[in-house]
Amino acid sequence: MRVTAMSARRPMRIHFAIAIIDNMANGWYSRDAEVRRMLLEVGGLVKRYKTKDRQIVEAVKGIRFALSAGTILAFLGPNGAGKTTTIKMIAGLVRPDDGDVTVEGHSLSTRSGHALRHIGAVLEGSRNLYWRLTPLENFEYWGGIRGLSRNAARKYGRELMCEFGLEDKIGSTVQQLSRGMQQQVAICAALIHSPSLLLLDEPTLGLDLDASDRIQDYVLRLAHERGVGILLTTHQMEVAQTLADRISIIQTGVLTLEGLKEDVLARFTGSSYIFELAETPSAEARLRADNLGAAWTSEREFRAVLDRPTDVYAIMRALEPCPVVRVMRETADLATVFRAHTRQSVPAQGGLEAMA
Amino acid sequence: MLHALRAEWRREWVQLRRYPTEMLSELVVIVLVFYGLFLGASYMAGKAILGGRLSDIIVGYALWTLSLMSVGTMGWTISNEAQNGTLEQVFLSPYGAAFILLLRNMASVVISLLFTILTLFSVMAITGHYLFVSPWDIIPGLLMIASATGLGYLVASVTILMKRSQQLLNLLQFILLFLIMSPTATLSGPWRWLAIMAPFSPVVALLRSMMMQGAALIGTGNWLLWSVVNAVLWLLVGLLVFGWAQKKARRRGNLSHY
Repeated sequence: MRVTAMSARRPMRIHFAIAIIDNMANGWYSRDAEVRRMLLEVGGLVKRYKTKDRQIVEAVKGIRFALSAGTILAFLGPNGAGKTTTIKMIAGLVRPDDGDVTVEGHSLSTRSGHALRHIGAVLEGSRNLYWRLTPLENFEYWGGIRGLSRNAARKYGRELMCEFGLEDKIGSTVQQLSRGMQQQVAICAALIHSPSLLLLDEPTLGLDLDASDRIQDYVLRLAHERGVGILLTTHQMEVAQTLADRISIIQTGVLTLEGLKEDVLARFTGSSYIFELAETPSAEARLRADNLGAAWTSEREFRAVLDRPTDVYAIMRALEPCPVVRVMRETADLATVFRAHTRQSVPAQGGLEAMA
Repeated sequence: MLHALRAEWRREWVQLRRYPTEMLSELVVIVLVFYGLFLGASYMAGKAILGGRLSDIIVGYALWTLSLMSVGTMGWTISNEAQNGTLEQVFLSPYGAAFILLLRNMASVVISLLFTILTLFSVMAITGHYLFVSPWDIIPGLLMIASATGLGYLVASVTILMKRSQQLLNLLQFILLFLIMSPTATLSGPWRWLAIMAPFSPVVALLRSMMMQGAALIGTGNWLLWSVVNAVLWLLVGLLVFGWAQKKARRRGNLSHY
């Protein structure tokens, strides 16, 4: 029997088809059916590294979270917080010292082959493309080593390239493409075997606005229309805010905040303020404001999340002698929330703020 | 799995086809290097003395290049993929990195074999010496590739843990040359075990007796049996060590941060 490209693209597709049939009465595909399905379960991951001076450093300390189909989880944290180590443990590239990862019900430690069939990844600092090959040749290769036939890989690869509007670049070698196009092709390559879980580490880093927008649009469609679960790490808070359904913040290897994006933002709404200054403050005054959580949006304007309304006065004092001309309360954005949250002292292990 | 093998083969073939000048110049260089080796040997030993040894040199050279390719491919693949940034994706294959490396090795060996055959014919035409190559020679050739693959896994293990293996490969070139060119088959007593256990030794003895003494594959004493034992042993050792090295590299986080 000849397996078609679509049926070769496994259970997620089948499940997706069932979800569509379930909702045929309504005439539209409901995301709810997919959302209920748990894709990824991260259970108590611990990773310790030995430094050159033989010290043991605990990079990840018992992280635990889950991701369901059709959901985008933004996994945020400062540099060195353990994001990349966690993502690489989920991809099976780093072996945890404790805990396990389950993908579509398959444990990565005992059934890694089965688990890896459901994972696609675009990792920061790495590529999933051979630059001397064309996108189509890359799809053939990466699809092939994931068990896809040449025809299936070519057919689906063409579809993916069309979705990115890159159909005219199919015959160019990857090295001839722009940085933005290469990243879009890399995402296509990661999706060539139709994974149900996509790991994206800094997918829009260093891209121009147009390329970044295309990728963000595609990622949203991928999750919300096709039910792919996406774990995203980025330092670009506006990207995370646009894409994420859920937010997790990791600090020094500990998950310190986890919840629906709306809940996370709402937690800080009402305590976020915009300060407008009459003139550019001195470097010292700016530094004092920074220590109180100022997130500068221009030379004379910044945002800050305050624990108490009266903290406004503390900020005004910190800025002296620079006069403040306007203070406004506002709805918090993710960047402000992130700064406010990570400014707080890191709680001990288990100090997770779960929000919904 | 067949899809993966085809994918590896196509990748190698496309890269060769895309840069034909690279392929041709490589071939020309190999032929010239060998011809230079032949001229040098003639000059040093004198044509009369060299006469009977020429076949040795040709067979030895062909084996040496083939085994070197097989030994080096995996280690080279790991360091090259790591530099290109594609190593992590290779390890994301559900078939496992050991299998993907094996496929890569097979594809490289087939291409290297084509190069070797072309080189052999070129050299035979240039020197006027012709070898009789029987189809049965494929069996010792396969056994040799199996041993070389085992060694390749060992080199890959070193590369994955130490991140570099170029110096080891340089050293291995000479060790392999020594093992292939030295007449270990004539060793006796406890040294005979060296001839049996050292990589390639029994298979080289087997090939020599077949190609230069015209012996049948079965009628070469125990060399066929020892060649099989040797090939299986080195392949198993290589696979076991590579499995261990992979675990260790994953534990250390070596598969990234190149």
